[in-house]
Amino acid sequence: MTPSVTASDPSAKDPGAGDRSLVAMVERFLFLEAELVDDRRFEAWLELFADDATYEVPLRVTREAQAGSQLSDRGRMFWDSKETLAIRVQRLLSEYAWAEQPPSRTRHFVSNVRVISTGEDGALEVRSNVLVYRNRGDEPTHDLYSADRRDELVPLGDSFRIHRRWMAVDQSNLTGNSLSVFL
Amino acid sequence: MTRTSERSEERERLLDRVRSDLPAGRLPAEIFNSPVVFDLEQERVFSRVWLFLAHESELPDPGDYVLRSLAGNSVIVARSESGDIGCFLNMCRHRGNQVCKASEGNASHFRCSYHGWTYTNTGQLIGVPQIRTVYDKTFDRDDWGLLPVRTETYAGLVFGCIDPDAPSLDEYLGGFQFYLDLYLRPGPNGTEAYAPPDRWVADVDWKICAENFAGDGYHTPVAHQFGFQLGYYASSASTHAAGYAVHIPGKGHGIGLGRTPGMPPFFGYPDDVVALMEQQLTEEQLSIFRETRTAVGTVFPNLSLLIQPFSTVPGEPGLRFCTMRLWQPIGVGRMQMLSWCLVPTDASDEYKREAYRAYTLAFGHAGMFEQDDFDNWSRVTRMAGSPLSRDVSFPYLMGLGHEPLPDFPGPGVAVQPYVTETNFRNLWQTWFDLLEQP
Repeated sequence: MTPSVTASDPSAKDPGAGDRSLVAMVERFLFLEAELVDDRRFEAWLELFADDATYEVPLRVTREAQAGSQLSDRGRMFWDSKETLAIRVQRLLSEYAWAEQPPSRTRHFVSNVRVISTGEDGALEVRSNVLVYRNRGDEPTHDLYSADRRDELVPLGDSFRIHRRWMAVDQSNLTGNSLSVFL
Repeated sequence: MTRTSERSEERERLLDRVRSDLPAGRLPAEIFNSPVVFDLEQERVFSRVWLFLAHESELPDPGDYVLRSLAGNSVIVARSESGDIGCFLNMCRHRGNQVCKASEGNASHFRCSYHGWTYTNTGQLIGVPQIRTVYDKTFDRDDWGLLPVRTETYAGLVFGCIDPDAPSLDEYLGGFQFYLDLYLRPGPNGTEAYAPPDRWVADVDWKICAENFAGDGYHTPVAHQFGFQLGYYASSASTHAAGYAVHIPGKGHGIGLGRTPGMPPFFGYPDDVVALMEQQLTEEQLSIFRETRTAVGTVFPNLSLLIQPFSTVPGEPGLRFCTMRLWQPIGVGRMQMLSWCLVPTDASDEYKREAYRAYTLAFGHAGMFEQDDFDNWSRVTRMAGSPLSRDVSFPYLMGLGHEPLPDFPGPGVAVQPYVTETNFRNLWQTWFDLLEQP
């Protein structure tokens, strides 16, 4: 299910625009999160998710323009809870994650950060663009995953926890022999 | 020497190597990354056999279509207004433009965006712009429909074949249906694809995957060691070899049926699905499936299915998911992967959802088991392309000379244990019989 927040309304007042410090806080959080995953500090990264967090990457399909969405209603590449993310992390930290042995080198570029709305409980709907570069071994080529990312962040002290992450990758037929990295 | 004769000499050298290796339980490594083998396979294997196209549930309503590839051809698989499923080359008969550009959708007609020829979803040409002014009266639209492709169906699976003289799908499957029913007939309404397929391109030779899924229980405790180590997988390295390997001689199809001694019957299935299976399947089928932990099989040449329990809590039974995958060669040492999750149509929505989630975690492009496999397979492919691999053969010696089980309840040739290479020798012999046939 596509998150209810689908787009910034160009005619509406951008709730983030009046509060640059809020956007800056959100950016700081997302940059830290990207840093942890690129540095392969997966246990620390996992702590940034709320206990009931969800992590979803829908399947991209190619449909005619009139069909509206180019995302599968039910299909997912990732359909994780914090519990299953923890299994993935546990595996990566074991000696037997062959697809990451030797590890991929990833770099997450997070940009176009927009605070779409603020809930009464302080939860933020955040939309951003993400480009993930991935290279492995001595391969002279790389994989690139470009995605539309929607996060629901809940405040915790002077930072946040990710309550919901949803990312739609822009490619329907992916490269990379396996997707063994987090997007 | 001309290029043509060089090419045919290279073909003969390679075929001779396979011909002398096979009876000794060997196979040349170079077949897993070879331009000569790629061309031979396109010409002599994929143009002659039944190839998987789509699951009927992907086309639930009249007008639904999916775009697929059949032996290197882009084809439309569509359900017509009368409910029949047909398949056509995705090429306008006028100048060859693609008439369909989406991977899925619903349409009563396909209109070419070049000169406007328009076809029904049964492939019939019904619209030709300015037909009265630009063509004379002898022009007959019936002569210029989309090129049809022969299709047949088994238990919801639609197959296509470009050889008009090939035997029927039923004959082609040759008794393998007995085992396919475990995946495809878990209830009176069979299965449905939970979602469209995951699609990705990999630097892997398709044959490595087809062989692995024809029952390679040997790799599991090593390649997927994390699952054993962390307790997410209901088997242990010491008991993993138990079970059967079954193949259909001369047809290439093979299945591995792994058992875990002491495992409760139908471990990991919900009770309502078990009740339906017991009504639906024969006693011979049930006697095998009741005790099966892992069922991993390949329909020759490149369609595979797997049922396996997977747990998100170490040590718990977890639940069964079923994946179906198509390994399509698209170049030398390169393939297009399509991977579906099938769920029993009659199961609860909750079970379907949880089975799909288990699939995404274990298989699918980001699945943890999938990741291990594709990493290994890409390295096998790379090495098979080394110049020195021309001097290397792989052993296919496990179970060579073992007698088949005399009283196995299912068709084909069954051997014990599950970990063996009997199925693979049959797969390679079938492949080679086609390859050497001009």
